[in-house]
Amino acid sequence: MKEETSMYPDARIPYGTWGSSYFPAWQMSALAEVNIGQFAGESMNKILGKRGVPKRELEYLVIGSTVPWHWKFWNAPLVASCLGHRIPGYHMEQACATGLQAILLAAAEVEGSSYDVVGVLTFDRTSDSPVGVFPERRAYRRTEVLADVWDNFGFDPATGNAMIATAGKAARKYKIERKEVDELAYYRYKQYFEARDSGFLDRVLVPLEVLDLQGRLLGRVDEDAGVRAVTLSGLKAMRELDTCVTAGTQTHASDGMASLLVTTKNRAKELSPQPEIDIKFIGKTEVRTLPSLMPEAPVLAVQKLLKRTSLTMNDMVVVKNHNPFAVNDVIFSKVMDYDWHKMNTTGCSLVWGHPQGPTLTRIVIESLEEAVSLGGGYVLVFGCAAGDVGIAAIFKVEEGGK
Amino acid sequence: MIKSMRQPTLETLGLGTVLEIFQRGQMPVNTHDLVEQVFGNSESRGSLVISGVNGIVGAGKAMQLSSRLEQFGVGIVGLDFPGTPDGVGRQYQGLVRAFGKKRADKVMANIIQLTYDGVHLPSELNELQPRFLLEAIPEILDIKKAHYKLFRGIFPEIEIRSVTSGFPSSELGVGIAHPAFPHEINKVWEVVEPEPSPITQLFWALGLIPISVSDHWSFILDVLFCGITLAGLRYHNATNMPFWKIDKYIRKIIGPNPFRAHDVIGAKGANFLTWSCLHHLAEKYGELFRPTVDLVEHKESGQNWYPPNHFRPVVNWHLEGDEEEEFLSWIQGALFQMASLLLYEKRGHFSHINAIGELCAQFRRGILAVIREAGTDTAVRRVEAYHKLHPEAAKNTWYPSVFEEMENPEWQQLYVNAEHDGKVGVITIGRESYNSDVDSELNRAINWLKAEKILKVIVTGDFHLSTQMVGADTNEFFPALDNRDEGFRISSSWSKTARRLHNEFQVSVGYVNGKRCLGGFLELFMHCHYLISRDDAVLGMPEVTLPVVPGMEGCHWPFRKANREDWPKLLQLLLSGKSVAAGETVGWLVDYAAPMEEALQTVWKIVTEGDHGLQRRRIEEGVLKGIPLDVPLSDPDSPETEAARKAIMETVQNSCGVALPEALTIQARHSADFMTSDTCRRGVIGAEFSRVMTV
Repeated sequence: MKEETSMYPDARIPYGTWGSSYFPAWQMSALAEVNIGQFAGESMNKILGKRGVPKRELEYLVIGSTVPWHWKFWNAPLVASCLGHRIPGYHMEQACATGLQAILLAAAEVEGSSYDVVGVLTFDRTSDSPVGVFPERRAYRRTEVLADVWDNFGFDPATGNAMIATAGKAARKYKIERKEVDELAYYRYKQYFEARDSGFLDRVLVPLEVLDLQGRLLGRVDEDAGVRAVTLSGLKAMRELDTCVTAGTQTHASDGMASLLVTTKNRAKELSPQPEIDIKFIGKTEVRTLPSLMPEAPVLAVQKLLKRTSLTMNDMVVVKNHNPFAVNDVIFSKVMDYDWHKMNTTGCSLVWGHPQGPTLTRIVIESLEEAVSLGGGYVLVFGCAAGDVGIAAIFKVEEGGK
Repeated sequence: MIKSMRQPTLETLGLGTVLEIFQRGQMPVNTHDLVEQVFGNSESRGSLVISGVNGIVGAGKAMQLSSRLEQFGVGIVGLDFPGTPDGVGRQYQGLVRAFGKKRADKVMANIIQLTYDGVHLPSELNELQPRFLLEAIPEILDIKKAHYKLFRGIFPEIEIRSVTSGFPSSELGVGIAHPAFPHEINKVWEVVEPEPSPITQLFWALGLIPISVSDHWSFILDVLFCGITLAGLRYHNATNMPFWKIDKYIRKIIGPNPFRAHDVIGAKGANFLTWSCLHHLAEKYGELFRPTVDLVEHKESGQNWYPPNHFRPVVNWHLEGDEEEEFLSWIQGALFQMASLLLYEKRGHFSHINAIGELCAQFRRGILAVIREAGTDTAVRRVEAYHKLHPEAAKNTWYPSVFEEMENPEWQQLYVNAEHDGKVGVITIGRESYNSDVDSELNRAINWLKAEKILKVIVTGDFHLSTQMVGADTNEFFPALDNRDEGFRISSSWSKTARRLHNEFQVSVGYVNGKRCLGGFLELFMHCHYLISRDDAVLGMPEVTLPVVPGMEGCHWPFRKANREDWPKLLQLLLSGKSVAAGETVGWLVDYAAPMEEALQTVWKIVTEGDHGLQRRRIEEGVLKGIPLDVPLSDPDSPETEAARKAIMETVQNSCGVALPEALTIQARHSADFMTSDTCRRGVIGAEFSRVMTV
């Protein structure tokens, strides 16, 4: 491996202190019934407990979510109270990039010596998202009503296009074939089920029980509900919604949370059950591409990041991305001349869904866990975000190996 | 010369033994005499001042004491700062519920509220002749001392007791009368004084339960209650498990939910008190008692332990695998170590240390009974396991040697004692509900009396810790809800114990000394050759309301002793679940009922072959024929009641339809069968099981 520079040389992610809920699909679990901020706070507390980290170790909390939730005004301090530990913090959001950006912001807090142990907690509930009423002088009713999730998915105010239209447009630009997209999607499902059946997901996902108001069991969140096996022929038979985009080759809305810690090198050794594993931040970048070409933005971000870090794709032991459209991966593969079979080996958001805020946090967690199991190395995580944005980051796992 | 298995708890109050009560045929002290001793005679009757009367303790105790002293013309003077929210007035609705409006008005009218500035006592106080000050002001040593000085400066003869839960008498310079929550109704007072005083004896005579404890920082109740709270806090620190869930597990293994209790009492005050007790204990005894950061924060903020209603928990927690064992070590280990301190320092009579948890802190079983059941080795290992988790606690305040004496009578007879004078024995039961501990101890007491060659025995309450006998401890039935064999074991073994009272003594007399005797205890007592009661005591068989089928031979034994024409009354008792005054049951349930002293004297005549004029009722050992198949009853209020009536009627018919030797087994089978039924599961016991044991 090459000698790299780190964007945050003092910040670390302590191995084994992370955890994510499963991501049940929109409206398919008890998560549709709860205040997701409260759920996330309580869940992080439980995950930390299971990982042997007293919550009092936390000094600061960065939360990330994109869908408004009840009492969101009180943001991180309220979630911290639900976690059971009254610490300060703030809320951030950057659409689908939230889950990665929150981790990087936490690292900045540590690097700046503001705090030694910062919690990252991302969450969203796409089920029953709120409907907002906004004054709008150009509307004849002088009022605009907006269903937060679906209306935003369907309309980028900067371009006037829907999300799905960006996938079709990018597919046409890169002359992507439907056949390859279907084959890729099929392979992604296969990767997910293999990872699940091997027990890999049990190392990062925590089953949770949701209680009703009487304290009785409302439901279990113990699977990525809504994910079902697909066949290649079934994918091929699906109706095309835009160029190379079908119901089977795009993600689905889901609910969930994911959390990890960012801390100093020394504290990481104290907090981690395997202190010999060292997880560093190497670099991060973002790009914004031309209007309505969102699926190409990630690859542009990766190109930029590799250039800035002087690393190559061959240096990466784990490559994982947020791919709401299978088209994203095909474009990436084509531009980078990188075999898409080598990516997303433990599953991806195309398959297990997209609750938005926590999506990239779960991807980071799975990537780091996979890198540890592979003996360490560079980890590339990237994805697209609303506004034709691409984000990419590289981490380095050292002294891992099982 | 009276010999006893262990010291009767009455002796700790200077009230002698229970056997002496029967020998004398009267109670050891007279309430009127004690009122005069404490408050002066009727011409110059003084008053009781409660300072801090609007606080939780002050207001509760004003109700409890006014309702008892009003009839003796002792007024209550409530003292507090001007502008303090009216804690006394808030009690009125509760008083009306308890006593009815007329009596509530009288109790309230007996309380005179005065305000003062903390420096000068109100001039009106002189006319009210304060004789006894019960201080219930905040737990700040200097303020308390200044308060006493103020009173003593003007009323030099006044008796003072502090309700403090933390400061020893030696620090305060006054005696302690530390009451237990809920203050309106809890009768227990931990008392610290050099010798039992007339005030303490008056409390006893008024039906309260003073318990003598030693003069140490924080008394037994607070060591146990604050201690279990602290143990829960430490588990929280180690695992992040939320307080509400820790509460559920503590409730399952010990009984109380300490965090909920703080919120119910009022977190602001309760958090401070818990912190204060633990802080002082930690200063004296070290890290075992050191308050955690969470407690300090909650003390500062007065914040509740449970989340607010709009944030009722959504994520569940479970103990899995080894976590259950670890939880036990954190909770039981700490409690066992704290108990070792209580024993080592001789903080009180063993029965008192044991009972305080049950009577004041919702422990399902007393802490010493739990340790006794665990046994020396397990108890010591549990503490050692705790020390591995919390090594600082191992440094001091750990006295394992006290657990090596469990064979001593003090350990063995926590609830049941026996005394005798060489001819007559008395078995005293100091627990209000019958459980396996009482059963074992009762057997040991019987064995002891028999070994002492005592042939005549009185079975009664202990005239101290137990003021009533409410029947079987239904917690004992939890295992029987799923396991028929367990139900059969409980029913048959307890019945066999009860039969010993009938079979193994020349004369046995059950004496109901408390205000009620119900269910299993009534079944136990009816096995005695004679059943005597205070005439105002209430007797009943409420099993049908739970519902369960009576398991200690209540479905056939009383029929075998009663005349045929009284059988419908017995059936009515069993099938309605309604209680009756003892005086109304003479001849078919009790043999004699009279005011306390007359009843005591009759009991003594029976066991000393005096002229008591009662006929010993014979037990019919054969098959009983003609048991009525129906009696007039109100319509059942639920399907469960209907099913229980049917099951009880079947049990009566079947157990009376066989000879006495077989009846025990028949009754036990019916009782066990019913406990595994859906009907029982839907009733009080099933609901309680689900609430407490299904965490």
